[in-house]
Amino acid sequence: MIRPTEIDIDREKGNFHYDTDYAFDAGIGLDENTVKYISGVKNEDSWLLDFRLNALLAFEKKPLPIHWATKDLQNIDFDVIRYYLSQGQEPRRTWEEVPDDIKNTFERLGIPEQERKFLAGVEAQFDSEAAYSRMKEDLEKEGVLFVGSKEGLSDHQEIFKKWFGKVIPTTDNKFSALNSAVFSGGSFIYVPPGVKLAQPLQAYFRINAENFGQFERTLIIADEGSEITYMEGCTAPKFETSTLHSAVVELVALKGAKIQYITVQNWSNNVFNLVTKRAHAEEEAEVRWIDCNIGSRLTMKYPGVVLKGRKARGEVLSIALANDGQHQDTGAKMIHAAEETTSNIIAKSVSIGEGRSSYRGLVRMPKHLKNCKNNTECDALLINNESQTDTYPAIAVQGDGNSVQHEASVSKVSADQIFYMQQRGLSEPEAMSLCVNGFVNDLIREFPMEYSVELKRLIDLEMEGSVG
Amino acid sequence: MSLQTSITQKNQSIFDSQVLFDSFTEKRSWEPSWLIDYRRKHWHVLNNLPQRLPKDEGWRFSNRSRFGFSKVHKLEESAGSMNLKYKSSPGTRFDSFEKMILDRPDELLTYIDASGPNLGAKESFHLIASFANSGFFLKTGNSNDQTQTFRASHILPSKSSATFHRNIIALEPFTEAILFETINSNDWNSSALLGNFTQVELGEGAKLKRVLVQSCNPFSTLHQLEHFQIGKNASLTNVTIHLGSSQSRVETKGTLLGEGAEFENFSLFLGQDNQLFDQRTMQHHIAPHGRSNLVCKNALSNESKSIFSGMIKVDNSAISTDAYQSNRNLLLSNKAEADSLPGLEILANEVKCSHGATTSRIDQGELFYLLARGIPRPAAEKLIALGFFEEIIEKIGVENEIESIRKKIEFKFES
Repeated sequence: MIRPTEIDIDREKGNFHYDTDYAFDAGIGLDENTVKYISGVKNEDSWLLDFRLNALLAFEKKPLPIHWATKDLQNIDFDVIRYYLSQGQEPRRTWEEVPDDIKNTFERLGIPEQERKFLAGVEAQFDSEAAYSRMKEDLEKEGVLFVGSKEGLSDHQEIFKKWFGKVIPTTDNKFSALNSAVFSGGSFIYVPPGVKLAQPLQAYFRINAENFGQFERTLIIADEGSEITYMEGCTAPKFETSTLHSAVVELVALKGAKIQYITVQNWSNNVFNLVTKRAHAEEEAEVRWIDCNIGSRLTMKYPGVVLKGRKARGEVLSIALANDGQHQDTGAKMIHAAEETTSNIIAKSVSIGEGRSSYRGLVRMPKHLKNCKNNTECDALLINNESQTDTYPAIAVQGDGNSVQHEASVSKVSADQIFYMQQRGLSEPEAMSLCVNGFVNDLIREFPMEYSVELKRLIDLEMEGSVG
Repeated sequence: MSLQTSITQKNQSIFDSQVLFDSFTEKRSWEPSWLIDYRRKHWHVLNNLPQRLPKDEGWRFSNRSRFGFSKVHKLEESAGSMNLKYKSSPGTRFDSFEKMILDRPDELLTYIDASGPNLGAKESFHLIASFANSGFFLKTGNSNDQTQTFRASHILPSKSSATFHRNIIALEPFTEAILFETINSNDWNSSALLGNFTQVELGEGAKLKRVLVQSCNPFSTLHQLEHFQIGKNASLTNVTIHLGSSQSRVETKGTLLGEGAEFENFSLFLGQDNQLFDQRTMQHHIAPHGRSNLVCKNALSNESKSIFSGMIKVDNSAISTDAYQSNRNLLLSNKAEADSLPGLEILANEVKCSHGATTSRIDQGELFYLLARGIPRPAAEKLIALGFFEEIIEKIGVENEIESIRKKIEFKFES
């Protein structure tokens, strides 16, 4: 067991070292001092430190959920992970350190030169400021808050503290507890009543700019009648040198608000991506999770909506692509807690090579409710004989006022289809790519244009060399 | 002859007692030694089962305490709770389990060491293996060229007693059989328990249709475990009608062992009062070109509850598999509950697999149509629910049996 030995763990000393010229490093491994260090560096209020310390206790107490989840979780060594790194960590993020396959992905994707510069900017730390500020100015005119978790909890406590940790309690699961103990970075967004953002907020750069945290924390509050689209990550890989990424994302849609949350996850293949995402939807509010998982070694992510107000609507659209050495364990949760609430889940997964994709879902309707409806469809496509797919939905319905329908299917690309296209001059991989793109096409259309184009390219890339 | 043990502690079951097992086996010293060894082995496993997990996926959504053995005060040891009927024919054996132990233990020995469905009720399986004293043995001769009909009925003991049955069905290659099985109570007010394990082995090209009608009294508990092993080009149709008992745990596993095997499983449950029907199924495809289909329909009134957990598992070797599964739940009351856990685990790519699960109330359009024609609401609802079950009932395929089952269901609706 590796524990920090020479690390400065004195809170006062940590405060003293709060200087941009220095690297902040909570060391290796996790204990009370790590948490105190992080809190100290961020100069947090005592309630927040208590929050973190309680979360640490919960994390230590909770067992890994291997009674239903994959045993691969046991390969995470919590004692060798660095829980907080900020500023001055540039050498760890140079292009030289980027694995070759990721570098090739960038080049072959043909990401616009500007975006590439921007990513290089993340490395240089200050190039991103301008773009960031410009956006912030535009938003400020509308009264929108778009800040980091630190700023959100210190400067805008009156808005964010009320909902912080309320949609996803610390003790929800082992990884939400871990995140609550050591979170850093992420976005805190508040959209005032009636404000409808015409353009989506993009936030992938922020995580890199603020810290190297694998434990970002996002809280979006859409006030009455407001609308917001939030995009996380991009088709370029959010490569991380670490092995564990565990975020907590909480969405609050107040009466009549609409939130659309789009994720394109393309981590490199050594990342455990264990994310807790949940939304709280009040009367006539609408929350849509659009989720695309292409990267990571193991992803466990089940975006959920708690439909708390009458006529609230929840939706999860999910695409997962599992290649060799990958397990995409994704799904959705719909908790109906008010009358006339509706929810829709559409999940599509593709397993290539030795990849494994799983769908895990939960739909719950208690008996005192009337006219709740859910529709769930999950379709899986298997490309090779070594690929695997699983479906584990759970549907609990009480009372005669509600209705649920669930359908799942597993199929493969038929030899006829491939043959037909080869007759017309396409190579086998091209034909296969076309079939896979056709399979996920109706979901990809839900992504913003530039994302859907690049998603298609990413899928082409993943498919290359996978046939035969 | 029975054995009484006083219950002192809550949740303590008579099956916690070594004395019970020792005295049971002592009285059965006439059994062949391999059978006693077999019982001992499972008794040992039972007493060394790992501690129950607080959240056991095999018991998700279930009220496990209702299936506990603590309510049972007595082990019913007298044989004779089986009733068998068939037209004898050469080479065919159809006898009670106890008679087989006495007369033909060697034939029994071949089949005794079967594995259970293993879908969560481990305790029940090992208890049955330890204490089985009745049940039946069915084996067709290898020269039968026409379909034979067999009837077996299980009777639950009376007054807080438990009994355990072991049933073995083995069809020789290319033979065909129909088996009608019933499970009934001894009287209308005993809270008895039956642990019932049925194993089926179908040889190449064999065909079995099995129809089970369960109408125990509303105080009884049923642990029904079924494991069907289906050989090359063999086919099995299993139709189960569950009407009675306070709580039933039913585990059904079909293993498609041989190429071209076929497995069909149809079940219905009509729930009333606070009946609990906990059903777990598995369609396990091991060999290529297999076909399986499962339809499970539950209609639930009052505060009844059903749990359907069904898994389609397709091994890497089982190419060209077709597997389907559908769970339909009809909620007839505001307090009824239907939980559904349909699952797929697919490791081969040349497959067609799908499942569907729906839960809803009676179609209001259909109801309106009937009401508009002067049919009173309760009668209209009953008609619709009967129509809902018809898909399962017609799979029985024998007209007079179908009619008698329709009547049974109707009778339950009216009670």
